[in-house]
Amino acid sequence: MPTVTYDKQDLLNLVGRKLSDEKLEEIINSIKPNVEKITKNDIVVEHTADRPDLFGIEGLARAIKEYLGIKTKKFSIKKSNVKVKCSKIDYRPYIACAVVRNVKLNDYFIKSLMNIQEVLHETFGKKRKKVAIGIHDFDKIGHSIKYVGMKPETKIVPLGSRKEMSLKEVLEKNPKGKEYGHLVSSHKLWPIYIDSKGVFSFPPIINSDRTKVTDKTKNLFVELTGTDKKAVLQTLNIIVSNLAERNCKIETVQVSYDGKKEITPVVKEETMDVSLEDANKLLGISLNEKKIVELLGKMGYDAKAGKNKITVNVPFYRSDILHPVDIIEDIAIAYGYNNFEPELPKVATIGKAHETEKLSSRIRNLITGLGFQEISRYVLTNTEKQFEKMRNKKEDVIELENPVSKEYSCMRKYLLPGFMEFIFSNMHHDYPQKIFEIGDVVRLDSKSEVGARNERKLCCSISDTKVSYEDISSVLDSFMKTFGISYMLKAVDHPSFIEGRSAEILVNGKEVGIVGEINPHVLTNWKIEMPVAAFEISQDEF
Amino acid sequence: MARYVLTREGEHYLKTGLPEKNLVDVLKAGPLTLKEAERRVEHFNVALLWAKKKGWVDLKFDNLVLIRPPHSVMEQDALRKVESGEELAPEILDNLLQRKLIEKVISELEEVKKMAGKEVLHLTKDLIKTGVWQQVRFKHYDVTIPGKRVHVGKTYPYKAVIDDVREKLIGLGFVEEKSPYVELNFWNADALFMPSDHPARGIHDIYSIKKPKHGKVLDKNLWNRVKATHENGWKTGSKGWGFWDAELAKTLILRSQTTALSARILSKLKKEDVPYKMFIIDKVFRPDVLDAKHLVEFDQCEGIVVDEGLSFKHLLGYMKEIAIMLGAENIKFKPSYFPFTEPSVEAYVKFPKLGWMEIGGAGIFRPEVTKPLGVDVPVLAWGIGIGRLAMMKLGVSDIRYLYSDNLGWLRNKEVIR
Repeated sequence: MPTVTYDKQDLLNLVGRKLSDEKLEEIINSIKPNVEKITKNDIVVEHTADRPDLFGIEGLARAIKEYLGIKTKKFSIKKSNVKVKCSKIDYRPYIACAVVRNVKLNDYFIKSLMNIQEVLHETFGKKRKKVAIGIHDFDKIGHSIKYVGMKPETKIVPLGSRKEMSLKEVLEKNPKGKEYGHLVSSHKLWPIYIDSKGVFSFPPIINSDRTKVTDKTKNLFVELTGTDKKAVLQTLNIIVSNLAERNCKIETVQVSYDGKKEITPVVKEETMDVSLEDANKLLGISLNEKKIVELLGKMGYDAKAGKNKITVNVPFYRSDILHPVDIIEDIAIAYGYNNFEPELPKVATIGKAHETEKLSSRIRNLITGLGFQEISRYVLTNTEKQFEKMRNKKEDVIELENPVSKEYSCMRKYLLPGFMEFIFSNMHHDYPQKIFEIGDVVRLDSKSEVGARNERKLCCSISDTKVSYEDISSVLDSFMKTFGISYMLKAVDHPSFIEGRSAEILVNGKEVGIVGEINPHVLTNWKIEMPVAAFEISQDEF
Repeated sequence: MARYVLTREGEHYLKTGLPEKNLVDVLKAGPLTLKEAERRVEHFNVALLWAKKKGWVDLKFDNLVLIRPPHSVMEQDALRKVESGEELAPEILDNLLQRKLIEKVISELEEVKKMAGKEVLHLTKDLIKTGVWQQVRFKHYDVTIPGKRVHVGKTYPYKAVIDDVREKLIGLGFVEEKSPYVELNFWNADALFMPSDHPARGIHDIYSIKKPKHGKVLDKNLWNRVKATHENGWKTGSKGWGFWDAELAKTLILRSQTTALSARILSKLKKEDVPYKMFIIDKVFRPDVLDAKHLVEFDQCEGIVVDEGLSFKHLLGYMKEIAIMLGAENIKFKPSYFPFTEPSVEAYVKFPKLGWMEIGGAGIFRPEVTKPLGVDVPVLAWGIGIGRLAMMKLGVSDIRYLYSDNLGWLRNKEVIR
């Protein structure tokens, strides 16, 4: 989740108290985010996904103040007469706006405005796909604000430029256009905000230069667009609640969808009841209503003690509160995780290893006893390695829809190809090289609810200047005899092995594996210069 | 006195007769073609060589003909004498030695006696048996030179750490369970109340399968409960997410967290199974690019404790117990976030010498997770960063060493004690 760098002095100014680095770190860590480092000027914090209200410096400062019991501002909101008409744009249908007055910009404020947009775009906004934010100088915006789809030829003067260009040109020439253009380029009409003076925003790509925020800006216009209404509204809530911490006055905007009017931001404090018993039972402590109300205050909740329950006002920017357990966690956080007395319950159960692992463990002991070094290879591989380079016909395997690289694009069905790769990369080490692996492969299985199953396999190989079939078949024999498994070898021609020097391993008439001397064609495919003899066998058949 | 014994070939001829004698015998009935004779006489090449040399047979056109049958075969008698330990005349002795039908036995005693008074390298069985060891000097070695290294068969270092943790968890009363790598999105996320649009469920965060694309959730009631919980909270007391993507839930993926197993296990847990403790140590897959900090696949170790009356205090108790088991001397807790637990906690532990490190996370499963799965008692869930722990124990800072393909490193790595 996002790691954000804050200006330490700005944070302390907002909190309104001098705090040592240690104290600051301790408080932030106690609330939930994780302080990664504190330097002379900066503080680097890693956040969790559930608390986007803390991503901005003002939200973080508010939480610290509440935790320290410093009085915080009461959020208030007024109605403005600003209206935005929203036309139907199927692929980016939702908008939300707000007017912010009494803005006293300074370097800290400007940096914070940039930071909050960036972090919300990356996280909540899914790289601007789900939600995109534009912040403008309200006083430079004309009347008749509309959100509409327009042709790519429509003109805009993009932020940071003096030249008017078409939206299409923005996509081709502007760095932001190149980065985010793919979000609109496949569509006929592209979303823009337009007023009586022309286009002032081209979401989710860029604002206009005309409405840019400067050090003279006194009032802001915040506009959001997106694909998910809930996310758009929540993002706006986070932004306005943060701005309010800098003494800005927030005003609503009327957004009309095809005649249907909505007021944004939607600032609604919900209440939730938490039962005293549930809270104490879940936490394993016994607190009274009064204490819980006090603890909730530390976490920014207005709470009222009732009979055996606490009625909690959930701040409108706390989008993570779905269930009373979410509030109970905040009670625990305020109580202090390290103030709990850890207790081991007397739960009498009998531990047991999984049968597969138990058997593998025994096999591992035996094979290491035969002087083999265990290795461990990735389950992910590719079909070229699994089949082509082994001179095998391609078989059905689990292939990935979205591999990160060609190297890892399917699940292995055989362990032996991984051995070839291993042997090749270790040709400079002493011989003989006796190695083995016990690991899972994946086979398709139409009877399974997931269409596949894991299979536990053992593979052993010997590589040396001279290696014979007998060298490996004697390891196989010693292994099988020691495990008391009667087996038979049936001569078989297999393209991976030298003709006349490979056999299927049969247990109860069923093929469970193969043993032989690796075919020089295969060795050459892997650029291996030493002979190799190997066997691979399924453990699940034992 | 020299002693002689039969070689294997000699022994064989003593039993079956000398090949040349056998050839003579079959020819007594009349001449035979080479082919026929070869078919009827064992070791035919030897037989022909000696029978011709001794002037008993000859080749006329294609036929073998008996020309001078012998009265007796000297070697046959000699072989019998050697077997019974009788002495042989020198000329026949040379003959048999040359044909490698007998060999000289060197008297051990004689050889060993020659050693008396000398300096010897090795103490042998003969030296001990004959007592000659009392009359020899053993050469002094430079015993301070280290021995020549042999490569021992060893467990893979990371597996050894995993096995160690496994053993300890079993000792704490946890039952080990497993589930397949190919998993339904349903178990990997939906049943864990992760919303359909959760950031960790995107195409860049989870591997999906090309074929087959979809799997089955066999329990329709469970399916409906999970659906309702996502959409409106069902009977869990939650607001729910307000939406659910059923198609997504049916898709097959590579599991990205072993918690998928916890969901599967809880769905099958019966009242009489409680109290119950389970753990898993196994692989999960996430589309990362392989580097010093990321593996394409890595191991997770996690477990659950299910019982009446369990609380957050007990969760911390288990974390502490597990940390102590792993050798930590101190533990600190910090609030954290996991989509399926509330409250959630992260634990930092202090190991002697190595200092503080994050050891893992834990939490109590949300009611939105347990209730639809049919579980009405608290479920504590914990996970430990087994990879990180192993890196610490193995003293490596590059995570790729957990899957090292360097045989030299594997051979030289000391075992974990």
